[in-house]
Amino acid sequence: MEGQVEIRSPLVSRQLRGGTLPARAPHGVIAGSLALTAAALAATGAFGIGLLMALGTIVSCIAIYAWSRAVEGPRRALDRLMTFAIAAAFALALIPLLSLLFQVTKRGLPGLDWEFLTGTPRGVIGGGGAAHAILGTVVITGVAAAISVPIGIMAAIYLNEYGEGRLRRALTFFVDVMTGIPSIVAGLFAYALFAIFFGPGIRLGIMGSLALSLLMTPIVIRSAEEVLKIVPNHLREAAYALGTPKWKTIVKVVLPTAFAGLVTAVMLGIARIVGETAPLLVTTGVVDSINTNPFQGRMQNLAVYAYSEYRTPGVMKQASYDRAWAAALTLIAIVMILNLVARLVYRRCKTEIG
Amino acid sequence: MPEIRVEYQEELEALEASALGGLDLVSAALSRTLEAVEHQDVELAQQVIADDDRIDGRYLEVHQALIALLATQAPVATDLRLISALLHVLKNVERMGDQCVNVCKLIPLTGNEPPADEEMVNLILTMGRQTRALIAQSKRSFEGRNVEMAQDLVRQDDAVDNLNRECFGLALELGDDPDKREWAMTMLLAARAIERIGDNAVDIGEQVAFVVSGLFREFEDASHPEP
Amino acid sequence: MVEPTGARGARADAAAAGSTEAKADLGQGPPDRRRAATMQTRGLNLFYGDFHAVQDVDITIEPHKVTALIGSSGCGKTTFLRSLNRMHELTAGARVEGEVTLDGQDVYAGGIDPVKVRRMVGMVFQSPNPFPTMSIHENVAAGLSLGSGRVGKAEKDEVVERSLRGAHLWNEVKDRLDRPGSSLSGGQQQRLCIARAIAVEPEVLLMDEPCSALDPVATLAIEDLIGELKSRYTIVIVTHNMQQAARASDITAFFNLEETGRPGRLVEVGATETIFTSPTVQATEDYVSGRFG
Repeated sequence: MEGQVEIRSPLVSRQLRGGTLPARAPHGVIAGSLALTAAALAATGAFGIGLLMALGTIVSCIAIYAWSRAVEGPRRALDRLMTFAIAAAFALALIPLLSLLFQVTKRGLPGLDWEFLTGTPRGVIGGGGAAHAILGTVVITGVAAAISVPIGIMAAIYLNEYGEGRLRRALTFFVDVMTGIPSIVAGLFAYALFAIFFGPGIRLGIMGSLALSLLMTPIVIRSAEEVLKIVPNHLREAAYALGTPKWKTIVKVVLPTAFAGLVTAVMLGIARIVGETAPLLVTTGVVDSINTNPFQGRMQNLAVYAYSEYRTPGVMKQASYDRAWAAALTLIAIVMILNLVARLVYRRCKTEIG
Repeated sequence: MPEIRVEYQEELEALEASALGGLDLVSAALSRTLEAVEHQDVELAQQVIADDDRIDGRYLEVHQALIALLATQAPVATDLRLISALLHVLKNVERMGDQCVNVCKLIPLTGNEPPADEEMVNLILTMGRQTRALIAQSKRSFEGRNVEMAQDLVRQDDAVDNLNRECFGLALELGDDPDKREWAMTMLLAARAIERIGDNAVDIGEQVAFVVSGLFREFEDASHPEP
Repeated sequence: MVEPTGARGARADAAAAGSTEAKADLGQGPPDRRRAATMQTRGLNLFYGDFHAVQDVDITIEPHKVTALIGSSGCGKTTFLRSLNRMHELTAGARVEGEVTLDGQDVYAGGIDPVKVRRMVGMVFQSPNPFPTMSIHENVAAGLSLGSGRVGKAEKDEVVERSLRGAHLWNEVKDRLDRPGSSLSGGQQQRLCIARAIAVEPEVLLMDEPCSALDPVATLAIEDLIGELKSRYTIVIVTHNMQQAARASDITAFFNLEETGRPGRLVEVGATETIFTSPTVQATEDYVSGRFG
């Protein structure tokens, strides 16, 4: 081959290096844009935090894009712009959560004292504590979990390991529908069921647990099913190849492997129900004394307690409101603790698969 | 069906052609050897001896390439049998070349004006021509994987063997003159060498049968002669 | 003594362990020469729903020999292998027609418990799959603890040691039997799976491409192990690697597809030496020489 000419495409840049913005450029841009916007708003007298944030974000986005495009080129400029936009969206999503946590902590902390945690309103006018409510929440949620967890996990095992065809599809569909039940409907169902046998006006802890378990079970089923799906099939096959019956494979291989995930599934279910108020209002009632027997009489719980303290405050209104906030804070604390426990369990029991 | 291992196939075919090409070299050497015998040409004999290097070179080159192919391509089945056969064929080719050299070495020994007996010389030339035909047929039978043609080599080699025995008989008759005797003995050795070339060609025929059937059987076993 | 590491250590160890194992086995109770089973199939046809995957296989798997199943992808050799220990039917819609006998008894006859069949015909899979929640000791003993009947601790320990020795893994793990099964290297994990499989004393051992996930040295170690195991078990191994089939097996069976969509068939079966030097069927010749994929 003669006259071979090497053709270099002019369109493909042969440069590997491109211009770059300095490392701290994004921070500088944000600071600068905010300052600029603040100044502009102050000058026009329309200063406000919300407006400042909104306008400042827009200005930053424009500024970083323009600057990056000039120095680094269109592709990287777009990359930076998207990074900013996504970060801004994330911040926006965080604002309500942070604000909520802030408010609850600020207003609940003062009311959170020893009296609150150990006392009851019984015999105390316009005061007392929420020990009965805390215990009640624990009992009701515990019983609900005791109902939901076995049913939920066994249903998940059935759906994942045994189910096939129409029945499985139908069950999955109904479970999905159940995840959307409004909580008051669950409460009314539980009430109606017990009212048939015990007459109207019946209020029992167990009714609340039943209502909550209706809400919790589908969550547990779906999450557990997902976790069981993740257990690789070759582990089951290894057990079958050793001459293991199917049920033993599930109990001794699949469930232990999925254990950490199942704990998470249960925690997800609990988190769903621990703060439910509406179903408990119609099933467990309001009471001032400690009752730890779900089969006998009314039982107080934190969610209803917060509601009733707010709705019907005692003589000292502010104290009642404080207690309501403290109850809310306690609920959040309980969920957080459960979550942490779940994470710890997960980390310790997590099995490396494959 | 897509072509797979094309390079390997081509390499194998090239090596086969190269090994069999050695037979052409041998055939040419034999022709020149016969010419040297006919004219008692010492110079031509020297040339043949020197040119044997080419045959040896061919042997080494193809042998090395076959070993490399064994190591790198892990051939099996027919390919494996083929390579084994080619290794044998190469050896036969190299031996045939050496036999030509043996004949050529004998020519100067007979002196400048040898007392040649025409009948004997003709016998040897006939043997040589028939052996040349043997070589050509062995090559064709290998190329065509033709077992029948290969087996036919035995019959042709028998003819050459018979001619060799005739030479022996002739040599005995020439017994009186010591010079003539000496010359006859030398020519006997030459006839023997040519007969060995024929045997080598039969061996190549046996390899053809091996490649085709996977069985190795001697067509004509020296220790179990046909009755 | 310095613990040899990695697969290189495995080979050195295998050489060392081989002699000590021979002594250990002869010294103990059960005789080393167990009676391994013969398996036979007659008119075996395998289906996935309506799809006819494998057609009319008649083959005898001989005891105390390694039979290799070779053939191009999708020709049904793994499907066939899985039908030997009734794992094929675990796939939804899978169906078996024909006869598979273990020492003369049809494993698909009515009333036969597939779980029991799988105890007698063990399997080792392509990717090593030790149970992640179990330690090395528990993994090897898994066949015993997952099966029926209680096995005492002392007996379990003995079985674990015997199986790990049999798999040429004992010396490498004897000091860390409590560590999780997944803490071993790939080659060691596969040997662990082999130990687990032989712990239940099957009569036949099936191996589905046992070395395809392993590096070359680990592969050779497993092949040596297979050569040793055949004195106690009947072994069937599916492999994509022809050189492995040539090295490691006594009998080779070639499966082939005429074209995609048609069922796979057994084309030729014979002594490995013969298949690789003078196969009788042209398709076999073409496949082993690599003339087509």
